[in-house]
Amino acid sequence: MTNFQHRSLLQHIARFALYAVLLIMALLYLLPLVVMVLNSLKDVEEIRTGSLLALPQDPSFAAWSKAWGSACTGSTCEGIAPFFSNSFKIVVPAVIISTLLGALNGYVLSMWRFKGSELFFGFLLFGCFIPFQVILIPMAMTLGWLGLASSASGLILVHVIYGMAFTTLFFRNYYIGLPRELISAAKIDGAGFFLIFWRIVLPLSPPIIVVTVIWQFTQIWNDFLFGVVFSGVDNLPVTVALNNLVNTSFGGKEYNVDMAAALLAAMPTILVYIFAGKYFVRGLSAGAVKGA
Amino acid sequence: MAALTIENVRKSYGSTEVLKGIDIAIDKGEFLVLIGPSGCGKSTMMNSIAGLESVTDGRILIGGKDVTHANPKDRDIAMVFQSYALYPNMTVRGNISFGLEVRKMPKAEREIQVDKVAKLLQIEHLLERKPAQLSGGQRQRVAMGRALAREPKIYLFDEPLSNLDAKLRVEMRAEIKKLHQRLGTTIVYVTHDQVEAMTLADRIAVMQDGLLLQLATPQQIYDQPVNIFVAGFMGSPPMNFIKATLESESMLTIEMGDQKIQLPLAHNANFNAYLGKPVILGIRPEMITEPLEHKRSLACVKTLKLPTILTEAMGADTMVLAQFGNKELNCRVNPSYKIELGKECEFMFDMSKAVLFDPQTELLI
Repeated sequence: MTNFQHRSLLQHIARFALYAVLLIMALLYLLPLVVMVLNSLKDVEEIRTGSLLALPQDPSFAAWSKAWGSACTGSTCEGIAPFFSNSFKIVVPAVIISTLLGALNGYVLSMWRFKGSELFFGFLLFGCFIPFQVILIPMAMTLGWLGLASSASGLILVHVIYGMAFTTLFFRNYYIGLPRELISAAKIDGAGFFLIFWRIVLPLSPPIIVVTVIWQFTQIWNDFLFGVVFSGVDNLPVTVALNNLVNTSFGGKEYNVDMAAALLAAMPTILVYIFAGKYFVRGLSAGAVKGA
Repeated sequence: MAALTIENVRKSYGSTEVLKGIDIAIDKGEFLVLIGPSGCGKSTMMNSIAGLESVTDGRILIGGKDVTHANPKDRDIAMVFQSYALYPNMTVRGNISFGLEVRKMPKAEREIQVDKVAKLLQIEHLLERKPAQLSGGQRQRVAMGRALAREPKIYLFDEPLSNLDAKLRVEMRAEIKKLHQRLGTTIVYVTHDQVEAMTLADRIAVMQDGLLLQLATPQQIYDQPVNIFVAGFMGSPPMNFIKATLESESMLTIEMGDQKIQLPLAHNANFNAYLGKPVILGIRPEMITEPLEHKRSLACVKTLKLPTILTEAMGADTMVLAQFGNKELNCRVNPSYKIELGKECEFMFDMSKAVLFDPQTELLI
């Protein structure tokens, strides 16, 4: 009995230590976000004189509204709002096109295999491992030849091409788990390539579509490098605007505005994770259990 | 006119030949069962008929039309898959009418056709359900409904009952047989279950290693198997094979230690060439029984005393394993026949349906 109690006490301590460690790790992880939120609610003077971790004495959203509507990003002083719509104009078509192409590629590579399709898939996967920097110059030349340099369409094309490797991988691996006999049955029923895709395969795809859309949305929204290189002055995405905002200062640095702007710029991806995160995890593990 | 003709069909994957020149012709309304052990090429043959796999050589004709290189949709066939392959996103109604819709049948006609098939298969109450909400047997019916709705020239069944439990399998087997008799459809049916093959088929095609060994009626295959493989594959428990010597056209001798046992044979002119030579005797378990009074006077009957090793009561019959020299023989006796294990019992060998095989070629003599 004493032995049992002794062990139980030890277990309690171990459990407590485990939670303590988890809590500390969570706090550490959240700290930057907390600092940003706290300081975005202060005014510049308070930040300069007080501690970064102190609670705001007089919380106000003044910095947020300045970041949104009137902060200077380089030569213009309209906040980051206009760049938000730039970002959406790039992200939405890029996500839709790359997801559709990925679905189509995955469908072909899993259900309509041809001689060398595995090799083709292998080459396509190289796309997942090529660093962004490597393709900047060849891509800039290609866009120039296509007449798409410094345009939103050009940037969309870059994101579609770069994203296709990932989207194809996602869809192909999902479709490989679908029974081949489904496709055979549809072929015998008289359906062709696109009809089978549209009527049979796509309706079975929502779990992987969610995963792909979240992945692509996050990747493209957060992209800075392609945005700064390929977008041209009229189509700067919000990430580039944020950089410009932080680097543009008249007089003192407005940390509160910087932080509010950064939080605003991150908001769409944060919201996507909050609302669709569980589908993301579910979709990722959907193929893991056979027959699920 | 033949509903389906398969002419010298060959199929290779790289250097492995899985179909080695298959020739089959079946008539309209015929029920053909393709059977063989796994890897014998029966599923490849089926997929080739369906057009899901291309053939390397030879021709396939459906209703006299060469469809060797036609797409599945242009072959006028329907197929029932082992996994049923129902479209999970569609209702039962959607599943059955999809093929009709693709073929541009007007909606009103489609509805009539779906209702007709649903009534035939007694799945009317399931029409608005999704496949996931159905039991195995119900899915099986829907899969058959999908095939029936299109009224094609040929129905292909790819091991359709192998995912069902034993009781349901027997029920669905009878159901398929009844459907075939009622609708007079032409069916090609793949299975590895010899009971299914025997009960369903008008003719059975036994395949092994990409070769068609025998194409005949179930009874012919059972009574006159072309070789030892077919003889052993069809029938459960399998046929007994015993080494023997052909003494005369109507007499065999079997050496059992220093003892020689003689068994009578029904006269067969083909035996001439094997006189005095070794042969392999094939005799089915049901031909080795307890002594039957009404058979005693027959010419091809011999009663022997054999020690028993094992009995298996099947209810209707009792299977007995008896020691015969160094062989163990499967015998089928009446359950009322008293058997003491380890002791010698009398067994009656009815040789009227016994078959002989060449020991070298293993072919039927």
